[in-house]
Amino acid sequence: MSTTTIEPLVLPRANGEIDNTTDDPRYRPPLVTSELSFGDVTRAVANVAERPTTTIWKVAFAIALGFLGMLGYTLYKLFFTGVGVWGNNQPASWAFDIINFVFWVGIGHAGTLISAILFLFRQNWRTGINRFAEAMTIFAVICAAMFPGVHVGRPWLAYWLFPLPNQMQMWPQFRSPLLWDVFAVSTYASVSLLFWYIGMIPDLATLRDRAKSRAAQIGYGIFALGWTGSCRHWHRYERAYLLLSALATPLVLSVHSVVSFDFATSQLPGWHTTIFPPYFVAGAVFGGFAMVLLLAIPARQFFGLKDIITLRHIENMCKVMLATGLIVGYGYSMEFFVAWYSGSHYERFTFWNRAFGPYSWAFGIMVFCNVLSPQILWSKKMRKNLWVVMAVSFFVTIGMWFERFVIIVTSLTRDFLPSSWWMYKPTDIDLMMLAGSFGLFFTLFFLFVRYLPVVAIAEVKSVMPQAHIHPDEHDERSGDEHRSDYGPDEHHRHGNGNGAH
Amino acid sequence: MYWRSLNQLAETPEVRALIEQEFPNYNPSELATTSRRKLLKIMGASMALAGLGLTGGCRRWPKEKLAPHTTSQGNHTPGQVEHYATAMEVGGVAQPLLVASFDGRPIKIEGNPTHPMSWAVKDKFGAADAFAQASILSLYDPERSRSVIDRTRDAAGKSSDWAAFGEAAVAAFGRAKGAGANVAVLAEPMSGPSAVELRKRFQVAYPQAKWYEYEPVSRDNALAGSRLAFGKAYRSKLDLTKAKVVVSLDDDLLMFHPVHTRHAADWADLRRSGDKGEMSRVYVAETTFSVTGTVADERLPITPDKLFALAQAVAAAAGVANAGTAANLAPNETAWAQRAGADLKKAGKNGVMAAGPAATPVVHAIAHAVNQQIGAVGTTVQLLEDPAGDRPTHLEAITALAKAITSKQVEVLLILGGNPAYDAPMDLHFYDGGDKDPSILRSVPVTIHLSVYDDETSRACKWHLPMAHYLEAWGDARAWDGSANICQPLIEPLFGGKTAVEVLAIAASEKETTAEAIVRRTWQEQLIKGGDFEKQWRKTLEAGVLENSAFPAAAGATLTAATFAAPAPVSGPFVRFTPDSHAYDGRYANNGWLQETHDPITKLVWDNAAIISKKDADAWGVKQGDVIQLDAAGRSIQIAAFVQPGQPIGVITLPLGYGRTAAGNVGNRLGFNTYHFRQSVDGDVVSGVKVSKVGAHYTLATTMEHHILDEFAQKNALDQRVGGKGKTGYIVREATLAQYKADPRTPHATSHGGVSLQLFNNPSTFNTPNAWGMAVDLNTCTGCNACVVACQAENNIPVVGKDQVMYHREMQWLRIDRYFKGTAPAGGTAADDPNPQVVHQPMMCQQCETAPCEQVCPVAATVHDTEGLNTMVYNRCIGTRYCSNNCPYKVRRFNYFDWHAKDPRISRPAPYHGFPDAQQNDPAQIDPIRRLVYNPDVSVRMRGVMEKCTYCTQRLAQAKISRRNAAFAANGSEKGSEVVPDGEVMTACAQACATRAITFGNLNDKGGELVKLHKNPRAYEVLAELNTKPRTRYLAKLRNPAEGEKA
Repeated sequence: MSTTTIEPLVLPRANGEIDNTTDDPRYRPPLVTSELSFGDVTRAVANVAERPTTTIWKVAFAIALGFLGMLGYTLYKLFFTGVGVWGNNQPASWAFDIINFVFWVGIGHAGTLISAILFLFRQNWRTGINRFAEAMTIFAVICAAMFPGVHVGRPWLAYWLFPLPNQMQMWPQFRSPLLWDVFAVSTYASVSLLFWYIGMIPDLATLRDRAKSRAAQIGYGIFALGWTGSCRHWHRYERAYLLLSALATPLVLSVHSVVSFDFATSQLPGWHTTIFPPYFVAGAVFGGFAMVLLLAIPARQFFGLKDIITLRHIENMCKVMLATGLIVGYGYSMEFFVAWYSGSHYERFTFWNRAFGPYSWAFGIMVFCNVLSPQILWSKKMRKNLWVVMAVSFFVTIGMWFERFVIIVTSLTRDFLPSSWWMYKPTDIDLMMLAGSFGLFFTLFFLFVRYLPVVAIAEVKSVMPQAHIHPDEHDERSGDEHRSDYGPDEHHRHGNGNGAH
Repeated sequence: MYWRSLNQLAETPEVRALIEQEFPNYNPSELATTSRRKLLKIMGASMALAGLGLTGGCRRWPKEKLAPHTTSQGNHTPGQVEHYATAMEVGGVAQPLLVASFDGRPIKIEGNPTHPMSWAVKDKFGAADAFAQASILSLYDPERSRSVIDRTRDAAGKSSDWAAFGEAAVAAFGRAKGAGANVAVLAEPMSGPSAVELRKRFQVAYPQAKWYEYEPVSRDNALAGSRLAFGKAYRSKLDLTKAKVVVSLDDDLLMFHPVHTRHAADWADLRRSGDKGEMSRVYVAETTFSVTGTVADERLPITPDKLFALAQAVAAAAGVANAGTAANLAPNETAWAQRAGADLKKAGKNGVMAAGPAATPVVHAIAHAVNQQIGAVGTTVQLLEDPAGDRPTHLEAITALAKAITSKQVEVLLILGGNPAYDAPMDLHFYDGGDKDPSILRSVPVTIHLSVYDDETSRACKWHLPMAHYLEAWGDARAWDGSANICQPLIEPLFGGKTAVEVLAIAASEKETTAEAIVRRTWQEQLIKGGDFEKQWRKTLEAGVLENSAFPAAAGATLTAATFAAPAPVSGPFVRFTPDSHAYDGRYANNGWLQETHDPITKLVWDNAAIISKKDADAWGVKQGDVIQLDAAGRSIQIAAFVQPGQPIGVITLPLGYGRTAAGNVGNRLGFNTYHFRQSVDGDVVSGVKVSKVGAHYTLATTMEHHILDEFAQKNALDQRVGGKGKTGYIVREATLAQYKADPRTPHATSHGGVSLQLFNNPSTFNTPNAWGMAVDLNTCTGCNACVVACQAENNIPVVGKDQVMYHREMQWLRIDRYFKGTAPAGGTAADDPNPQVVHQPMMCQQCETAPCEQVCPVAATVHDTEGLNTMVYNRCIGTRYCSNNCPYKVRRFNYFDWHAKDPRISRPAPYHGFPDAQQNDPAQIDPIRRLVYNPDVSVRMRGVMEKCTYCTQRLAQAKISRRNAAFAANGSEKGSEVVPDGEVMTACAQACATRAITFGNLNDKGGELVKLHKNPRAYEVLAELNTKPRTRYLAKLRNPAEGEKA
């Protein structure tokens, strides 16, 4: 009988960062680096919301507000003159309006996937990023929900989409996928919002307790719902969180599946495809993760959260992106195969036209961004190079927008009767509205990073080594913080079990 | 408590106490001492109610004004449409019409079904062409001139009145009284007996006054040709119902001919008969792509200089002895001529040869000789005595007038209609180019112009007189066969206009100066002789036409020409002028419906362009929309080029009628004034033109692309969907007559077996009590657009303007899809085929039984009714546009803006922001005059709403109501009146279609025409493979090429 001594793990440093991406199966690398204590984590995150407003935040927020103003202007034009301010035309009755809708809904997928599915699968690395991934989801869904609301010809009657009792005794038409959209997106938005909010309660209480100004105390106090960190609170909280994640998990899959039904259940060549639901969901996760990376990498840099959102987090997200990107690429090729295999001349033409017709440039952008560019992530070295990761995420975000453009515009502009074929060209208002929706997104996002806990403090603590001690080997390092932080206490952790073990 | 009877119960104190309370369970003290909870409850409810009330304030209900019903006039039921017969005269030929009037307001124009020169089905529904259909919009054009304008002192002019003009006229004509040597009249051709009579009376008053007649688009060459052949100018009336072989040398019999409606109807008879195995064969050799050319079996694009040789070759082959020998023909041209001539010879009296207005007189003479030779005169051709045949040609007349003006012989010039300052040959200087280049009209001391608009000529004249629209005035006119029509007014003149006859009467100091009196007098004296005048007059008014008033057939017309002299040789490239399918000669320039109706061949809207062939374009390095400069002796013009497959090589077609400067807001600043290239020495052809590229680009708006020019589309989609040349496709099916006779399934070679699985069961059947359906016969559709304009007029369809057409947002519910089919020559593409085939496919809502649009509408705004209509509930529609995406036929139309509230010609960088959306309740937004044109049975859609064809559901409702009422009146019960027999009601498009390419009917009427058509072996459903189960079926096209060339 021989004993093997395991060398203590020493994490290398790369580009001034601690590299915790080791794949050595003997070690479980830490998800919080630099030996941070519970108190350090609290301070690091709370500091983002507590410190005085920085100039850089003000400038960024002003720019976002400017774009939001542009959105307001375009909406004013849209409401007071008509949908004609866009470039939509006879064959292409949908264009930027629905492209943007699907694009933003897609972005809104990563958040809930990270919070719900990864939670259920006990992927502890999610804790570092789930909070603002969820925030991103909420804001993206707000942007998305706006488009179907304003894209209708008579927006003041858009509420007719809801099954409200009315004097006409009219129900909506339940066979229409657009109606399913209404249900899917509104359910998704409300569950995501609840999920996000409930997860934030302990952290809001932390901020409340740390707040120095009366206004902040009242403000955070209201939303902390009287959280005291009692065992009972924790118990109820964990139950609710688990239940909500179980509720949200099918929604992650359903919402984009339903959005894809808008296309899949129609009879237009290029839309009428059974592969759409899975391929849309994969595409949404793909695009969502790209957006999380686009937000997380600068955020950890600016807010000094490198020890909490570590290279390992980024590397993991890259892997998810690579995997979903491959599914998307498979979807593209399978669409072509089925178009050929179906023997339907209309289908064949649509795909041939997609690749080689007048919009082949858009198809090219899509393939380059979504299929080719993520391939670089096979290399671990590249996954750790933040510039490369930023570039790929940027490409994927663009590529996923173009994917919707390709699906919607190329299919609509050349369908069955050649007499009706016509090219689509966006107007200035179309472009301004797309930019304006980013203004809305970033305005909300900047408000979020300024006033709310950007990382789930309590959850992060639960995956730190300090949380895993047994009662008999109590670590003094964390003991002094227990009274002011809402970290999970050890009894509780034992009760809940810990996936890391 | 127990009780034995209700009375006993009622007597109990408990019940009594209850009865004493007016409102049981109501405790007023509750209100006095309200608990906090209760108060909040009540407050909450009140707030909610207040909120509900407020939402009412945000609603956009249209403003309404109520009018009480007081007394009704005799024989008139308010709201009941009545029809009146009248006629519209263009170029001296009347088109007989029937006008629908709603409460004294004309709203829709149809053909006069009882007229010999019109077309009708069941003597009930008559057809009118696109121009006549659209003339209703011109009636309500707010930009029509509204008063007499006096420019005697000030070139800008000031509003005046008829009294002031009367005084000035007395002074001017007073000076001329007596001989009137210095008086001249320039008039449009006027065929009416009253106009002829007034002209006589005018010339009695001023014996030396000169009378000139000018029309920019004329058939003078035909008269000259007849004079050449017979020594006398006869008018040819064709009977195409008997013409089994038609040879047309550049004659657009089915579109730009004064009697094209009748021609089209007759021609269609011998096309439909293809089902019986017999069909006419149409040969067309033409110098520009015409509608007749698109439906020809044997088309030959040719340059104008070769028409003579071609005519000779045809004549020789047809057996005309003195035809001479044709020279300089290419082998394919000779072959065409020999086939045509041989066919004519074989057809004998069932053949006919016609020549067009651009063909030189000698070509017409040869055509006459051929017709004589084969014995066609008397069967397919009638020669009629033309009382006005001996007049000078229009070009001679206007030239003579110009000469008289420049030599100062004219002091008083009266211009009745027309627009010489715009459309006279440019070298005569009627054109008013400002101070540097003033019109010669300005040198005449007294000039008076009567016209509907204050146009270019009016602005160069001293007096402008508002002319009454033909729907506002009494008058008369003769149809092509000479039959006399009374034109009765449908409405009082909106702007106090007068007719040419009335102005002549004023000028001649006649006693009678009202048109009605003049017309009655003329008819009493000349036309209705003997019998009870009033009775006959009333009968004629009702019918619109006087029986047996046609011109007599020419007695003993014998050929006098021994030989046919060749015209002087000319060389190309050639310019060929044609009337325009929107503006005609420019007179309809301000008509938005016509401007936005796609040209049958180019599909251009809101513009004209120089139409050139693909080969020429390649040779000159010109692309679609490039501006080219044309130069010929003494003139030049810059104009955008339009590359047109099938255009004869070496011929540049210049449609007339654009570049107006005083047409009105709709017609101004559109296109290019091609009259600038026309001189008095030209007919419709200019030779020896030099073409150069300018380097500028001009955006032309078309509603459909020439996919034949798109190699990618041609190869990957059109070859299968439309079919290659002479081949049948998925969506456009065709066969040659021979193939069809051998196997009637030939057109459907591309179709697959039906698989009709469906996800949803239909909620009900779509056949009770009626089953509406339609059939479209591709074999007889000429693409003439009458249906398109009829639909626009019937259904209050808005006009969107050129900018919006370029966005492809045109609103017509019915469009005519035009496809070219070419064969790629060696080393070229299908677009290089010099002579492609054409298919016209009218496309409107197919009323699918399993409508894809209905499945996807989230608010149930488009639903099926039980009679098979895919209805559109405008009030329910919120405008998601999903239905349009899912419509495989793309026939739905969306109101991207509030089209009705806006002048379609307000030109801004598109799409226009800041465009006011008044939701139609602001009277200032829609001119009250323009509102008059709306059909009251059809809602005027607001912005944000989808719309589309519903088989004229308002007409169907009207028919059902009428039947019910009639049944009730007859039997006291509506029973048995539910089913409307086939043919009792027609959609606007079907009614306007002279060729009956569109047939509407009831599929429940098993013996009806529609059921027969749906069972026709040619019938197919477009995109049947999608299982949409459309209620409209198409009948495959048949072509009848000559043996040996099965194209």
